[in-house]
Amino acid sequence: MSGTSKEPNVLTQLFNTFFGKHWPVWVGGIVLGTLNVILFAIKSPWGASGGINNWGENLLSAVGLLHPEHISPVNTNLYGMLCILIVLGSFVGALFSKEFALRVPPVGELIKGIIGGAIMAVGATVGIGCTIGSFFSGVPALSGGAIIFTIGLFIGVIIALRYLIWEMDRFPSWSTGKSYNFLAVKPNKGTWQIVLGWIMVAFIIGLAYIYNGSNITMSWFIIIGGLMGMISQRSRFCIVKAFRDPFMSGESHGAVGVMAGLLVGLVGFTAIKLFGIGAGETAIRAREMTWVFPHFWGKAAIGGLIFGIGMTIAGGCAVGTLWRVGEGQIKLWLAAIAFVIVSPLSNLFIVPAIDKLLPQGMKYKNFLPDYIGYDGAFVLVLAIILIWYVFVKWNEKTGRFSAF
Amino acid sequence: MKITQTLDCKGLSCPMPMMKLAKAMKGLNTDEVLEMLGTDPGTKSDLPNWCQKSGSVILEETELTGGVTRFLIQKK
Repeated sequence: MSGTSKEPNVLTQLFNTFFGKHWPVWVGGIVLGTLNVILFAIKSPWGASGGINNWGENLLSAVGLLHPEHISPVNTNLYGMLCILIVLGSFVGALFSKEFALRVPPVGELIKGIIGGAIMAVGATVGIGCTIGSFFSGVPALSGGAIIFTIGLFIGVIIALRYLIWEMDRFPSWSTGKSYNFLAVKPNKGTWQIVLGWIMVAFIIGLAYIYNGSNITMSWFIIIGGLMGMISQRSRFCIVKAFRDPFMSGESHGAVGVMAGLLVGLVGFTAIKLFGIGAGETAIRAREMTWVFPHFWGKAAIGGLIFGIGMTIAGGCAVGTLWRVGEGQIKLWLAAIAFVIVSPLSNLFIVPAIDKLLPQGMKYKNFLPDYIGYDGAFVLVLAIILIWYVFVKWNEKTGRFSAF
Repeated sequence: MKITQTLDCKGLSCPMPMMKLAKAMKGLNTDEVLEMLGTDPGTKSDLPNWCQKSGSVILEETELTGGVTRFLIQKK
């Protein structure tokens, strides 16, 4: 062939493999599940709402609304930093793929972002966790409360989806109107996004290096957080999508991606707990009970339901919100800000009121192996994932439970 | 090519573009073409998945200025 176009070198081809197109969600799920296991091996599993709450506590403390004595600064809080790095990692992914732009939707959508973020904050504080801590990590942690939280999420998603469909039919103007898009580039232009992406990579590596001498765990959380954000952005990994799409369009891609991550987490977490890997000086029992929260069953059900409603209205779960912040979705910026502000307030005012109403039997730690052994708990969680898989695939084919 | 309907989803993020698209496609007849304008990167992976399920076909995907992507989708 005598073509004049020059074939890109192998490194460019490698770069394009990662950033030319979106990854299949199941690939993202497997990698995120693996990183979650590594986090647990190092310290403790992936969580998002705790980190966002830490941002909120620091913010409200800075303006004098909270007492700062018991608040850890963001730069010393593993999960506060993990959440920041998820945003930065997603920013890098969006820049490298030239998908970064400041996207301002119509006003109605901005309002839904604020309301959805605030509801998510209440759900996460009541349920002691979000779609990451109480679901993506909680279920593989063999927590009975996480399974109840998941059921609550499903019900919340179905309720909020019915609302969105009703709103679209009755008040279509709420999601239409003037929108703005800044800093967007065409695929063959906008080299500045690639350059800025490399600057951000250098910044993340530099940040990890700063902690290397004093807090090696933080260094790892920084690198893993950055990778999690980038992978989530490239694979469009979003847990609200996994729960919502089967009931909306009938698609199962998002759900299968999340299931892949759950399976990886299930194997890794079970091994860590069963063998006490990484227990160090702490008791094996404390390692077993990691990410088993005192929310079985009432708190988990209420929290999951509220969180499910919030994430569907906002259009992003905890991690879905964070990585969309990184790619410039202003609706999710507002959702994140509302989450940050409302989370500590909910912990102060709403959670104590609900705790007062619920008897102890509705808010205790339920570790499944205590009742059915490790074998039984592993098989139970595996069976739930398989039943979910069969359901979404059957529903995708038949459209039996899909709105469209 | 005759475009039957144009759907403006600029500025909208997941799930609104796909919800609006699914609703709009319900109102079209077989072989009619819908033009969709959007700015959410997620639509680029959501749309082929939805078409695979629904049987509709993406005839064209074009990058316009200002980060807008234009899709032409034929109902099947």
